Amino acid sequence: MSDPLLSVQGLCVSYGRVQAVRDVSFEAAEGSLVALVGANGAGKTSVLNAVAGLLRPRQGKVVFDGTDVTRWSAHRLVDAGLVQVPEGREVLATMTIHENLQLGGWHRRSTADASIDEMYERFPVLAERRDLPAGALSGGEQQMLAIARALVAQPRLLLLDEPSMGLAPRVVDEVFRVLEEIRQSGTTVVLVEQNARRALRAADVGYVLETGSLAHSGPGHELLTDERVIAAYLGID
Amino acid sequence: MQQVLNGIFAGSIYALFAIGFTLVFGVLDRLNLAHAAVFTTSAYVGIELVADLGLSIWLAIPAVLVTGAVLGLVIERVAFRPLKGRHDAHFAGLISSIAVGGMFLALLQARYGPDTRRFPADAFPSTDFELGGVRITLLQLVILGVSLGLMLGLAYLVNRTRLGRGMRAVAENPHAAAVLGVNVDRVTATTFAISSALGAVAGVLLAFYVNSAQMTMGFNIELKGLAVIIVGGMGSLKGAMIGGIALGLAEVFAVQYVGSSWRDVVAFGLLFGILLLRPQGLFGARQVREV
Amino acid sequence: MLGDYTATLTLIALTAIFAYSFYAVLMAGQLSLGQAGLASLAGFSATVVMPDSPVVGLSPLVVGIPVGMLVGACVAFLLGLPVMRLRGVFLAIATLGFAEMVRIVLINAEWTGGAQGTSVPKLVTPGIAWGCLLLVAYWFWRLGGSRFGRGLAAIREDELAARAMGVHIRRYRMAAFVTSGAIAGMYGVLLAYFSRFITPDDFGFAAAVDGLVTAVVGGSLLFLGPLLGSGFLTSVPEIQRALGVEAGWIRPFLSALLLLVVILFLPGGLSSLIPRWRTPRLDPSIPAPELPALPPPGTSVLTLKGLGKAYGGLHAVRSVDLELGSGEILGLIGPNGAGKTTLVNLISGLSVPTSGTGTVLGIPLGPDGQGHRFARAGVSRTFQHSKLFDRLTVLENALVGAHVVTRPTLLRRLLWLPSARRDEQRALAQAGAQLARVGLADRAGVNAGALSYGDRRRLEIARALAAHPTLLILDEPAAGMNHVEAQELSTLIRTLAEDGITVLLIEHNVRMVLETCTRIVVLSFGEVIAAGDPATIAKDPVVIEAYLGSDGPADSRV
Repeated sequence: MSDPLLSVQGLCVSYGRVQAVRDVSFEAAEGSLVALVGANGAGKTSVLNAVAGLLRPRQGKVVFDGTDVTRWSAHRLVDAGLVQVPEGREVLATMTIHENLQLGGWHRRSTADASIDEMYERFPVLAERRDLPAGALSGGEQQMLAIARALVAQPRLLLLDEPSMGLAPRVVDEVFRVLEEIRQSGTTVVLVEQNARRALRAADVGYVLETGSLAHSGPGHELLTDERVIAAYLGID
Repeated sequence: MQQVLNGIFAGSIYALFAIGFTLVFGVLDRLNLAHAAVFTTSAYVGIELVADLGLSIWLAIPAVLVTGAVLGLVIERVAFRPLKGRHDAHFAGLISSIAVGGMFLALLQARYGPDTRRFPADAFPSTDFELGGVRITLLQLVILGVSLGLMLGLAYLVNRTRLGRGMRAVAENPHAAAVLGVNVDRVTATTFAISSALGAVAGVLLAFYVNSAQMTMGFNIELKGLAVIIVGGMGSLKGAMIGGIALGLAEVFAVQYVGSSWRDVVAFGLLFGILLLRPQGLFGARQVREV
Repeated sequence: MLGDYTATLTLIALTAIFAYSFYAVLMAGQLSLGQAGLASLAGFSATVVMPDSPVVGLSPLVVGIPVGMLVGACVAFLLGLPVMRLRGVFLAIATLGFAEMVRIVLINAEWTGGAQGTSVPKLVTPGIAWGCLLLVAYWFWRLGGSRFGRGLAAIREDELAARAMGVHIRRYRMAAFVTSGAIAGMYGVLLAYFSRFITPDDFGFAAAVDGLVTAVVGGSLLFLGPLLGSGFLTSVPEIQRALGVEAGWIRPFLSALLLLVVILFLPGGLSSLIPRWRTPRLDPSIPAPELPALPPPGTSVLTLKGLGKAYGGLHAVRSVDLELGSGEILGLIGPNGAGKTTLVNLISGLSVPTSGTGTVLGIPLGPDGQGHRFARAGVSRTFQHSKLFDRLTVLENALVGAHVVTRPTLLRRLLWLPSARRDEQRALAQAGAQLARVGLADRAGVNAGALSYGDRRRLEIARALAAHPTLLILDEPAAGMNHVEAQELSTLIRTLAEDGITVLLIEHNVRMVLETCTRIVVLSFGEVIAAGDPATIAKDPVVIEAYLGSDGPADSRV
């Protein structure tokens, strides 16, 4: 069996004096969809930010495609194919949809235009509004834009931080459909979600975080019916 | 009519200077008060290049552009980068840029002494044109041409190039820009370089216009530049351009009708008016932020 | 020889006084650069008003200085009215613009002598200069330990938290501004009658920058700052002269370099190198203040009907009905983005509802600026992201918390009246008692910024308790705590409720909420989806689904 595309070992992340993440380790095999679930404050976003190069971990190692990228900053990682779709989408509201997509191609100058055209095919609603400012889109459309933008960067590994947050259930369906397509196309996906059931249903492997540490892990469908996962969320025995 | 043209010439220089402020404010949300020192420096350097090295005044312009860019990189590295992430960053940035500006001016004084310097008598072309009863010199045309050209070039850069998109992204949301893989530090430094390069050209153009360079030219234009960006709107390039020209015209008319010693009050009158009535300026969309 | 030193001595005093005018506003976190203009106006006004011969045997300055200070204060007040709502950079630019306008107007005026200026006799001796300086320094020394001074420091550190603690922001900032004007006025008069000459150009941009540099180098955290800054900066050219260095550009270069070094590496200025005074000692004979009794159990503390808050088209909170009675511990839970913090901001008066009505402790929720009204009525809160006053000590943080139950003492402190000391001691007793309640009494003298995370959370609570609240709102107090710490917190909260305080607790740590609260309300997407006692909520499938998410695609169509 080949090495996993992403391997996180012993990650510790602190904000000032708060230790948000304690000794977290997990892997993502190439082409798989991995879900990181847990209640709020469990440290999921911190883990993703550390992997994506937006935060320096206090300890631990992040290995991407065989290279130790722990100290790499975000722009190097995006260039190498590790791209994040951040929490809250963070589209650039005053810039047009087209410009947002162009920014996605910051490190892919030669292929960006072709990728953008593909995105317009896949997401016709973006094509219709390409010259409108991104701020005029609805929440679900912004999420699609954020994902499309990340795809323009031609990622080998896509990190998504709570893509379903604030979205109506029907829109969430669409998001997960898109994620499945992405996974089918060969891109590895690491998904952080508060909506545990949806995420675990879609995942090959799931990891449950509780107050900064790893509590459980296993194949997605197994964790879905595991009583201990509910307990981890609600703190009930 | 002659007056209107004079107002436009002066205004285009104000606009060019003010754009420098706006660029940095847009990207970093900070005010670079060393900008005026770059302006003054380039005036002196321009004169030295022409008077002592015999460079033609036309070549002085690109030379000063490059000097300005270098100074801009120095300012960013020394006065602003070390303050990244500090919670009093806005206030500290004002002070640190005042300090670096002060150091530049002191060094200028060391090299050139406190007296006013002028261009050598034969440096300027004597060609005039006459258009509809109004006299324009070649020099004035060049000043206008260079200012407008640079401003249009900047507008093109910001709106249509990759770097410009990066600059706008960092200005709007540095975190989102970083997530996209933009090298925020490098974009910021580049913005500073461009900003100071423009400020430097404004300085040498003004030196051409009044045929002198003095230590105090920086103070005067700094306050006017601040008035322009506040009136035009912090962070708005269009505001800086239009505001600058408007100020130039307003001053000329004030001198005409009220008296030359009141000229500088115009800027501050406008400044106060806008701050009280519409603090985000004519074209600005930015919220007025806390320090 | 001696004459040289006299001049330098006077200059140090004058520079320090000017720096104090900047210090007065920097204390509150405002960067105002208009002091030069105020000094100019004051100086020229004095030349008009000053008598030529001594008054009652005293120097004519006895008339001139108060006139100057009055002019400075009044003009500052008038300038402050429109300018006070500006913040940061905008305030700096507006005040700088003002100073420039003054300079131009005065240069063009007849009565000032125009650009030539006015000639006046030399009346200022080192004695007078230092006398004035000592008065100003005295004022700021006494200010430091007063309620007003702490309020200004609180505004500097975190304006929102200060407002939530009942500090009247506008009034305090204006007072600082006017004080700055009065001191600048004093400086203007003294400078004129020392230099024997006054021109508008003496008060230009360069002068303003010099004053600012002195204040920053000295430091804006301790009253000795401007004095240190002035001494230091004035001695630089003296040292230079002693070393035989003549170049005129070195002094400005060195002072600019010094400013840069200080702001980058020593942001508190020279005065931050001075070790802080010991914590004031508690006088055990003075009891804690008599505070009104808390309402009996069951009294209505809070009533919300259909309350909503929308930002544009986005409903953060939607038609919330809620009742809260005295002595309850109500838990407010819900997934991320459910609107909990928005709701709490509405209840504590920091935000305005866009629909529905509500009453908190008898005060209806309404238009903006009510933060301190609610604080005075007995609503106290902590914040989700720590908003401690980092550069104040633990005790000082708690004292600011006690703002609404303590009395102003500054004027009495200036006169060393014993009643001021008594009031201060009462305030200390109140603050100290709250620190003891949360277990921080032994760390009273530590800077808040240096505390461990758990201690910071506890200080937030102590600070909120110092106001003797009827309703205590805790916004995610257990965030980042481990199981043991969370349990200690839970015990503390239950003790507070036993003492009669009504507690509204927002938390993500559902286990802790289930253990601590008497009643729970669950929010999701801004609406209440469940309410009841802990046992019921824990088993409610709606709640579980809100947290864990729904099962699968509702419908396969797009």
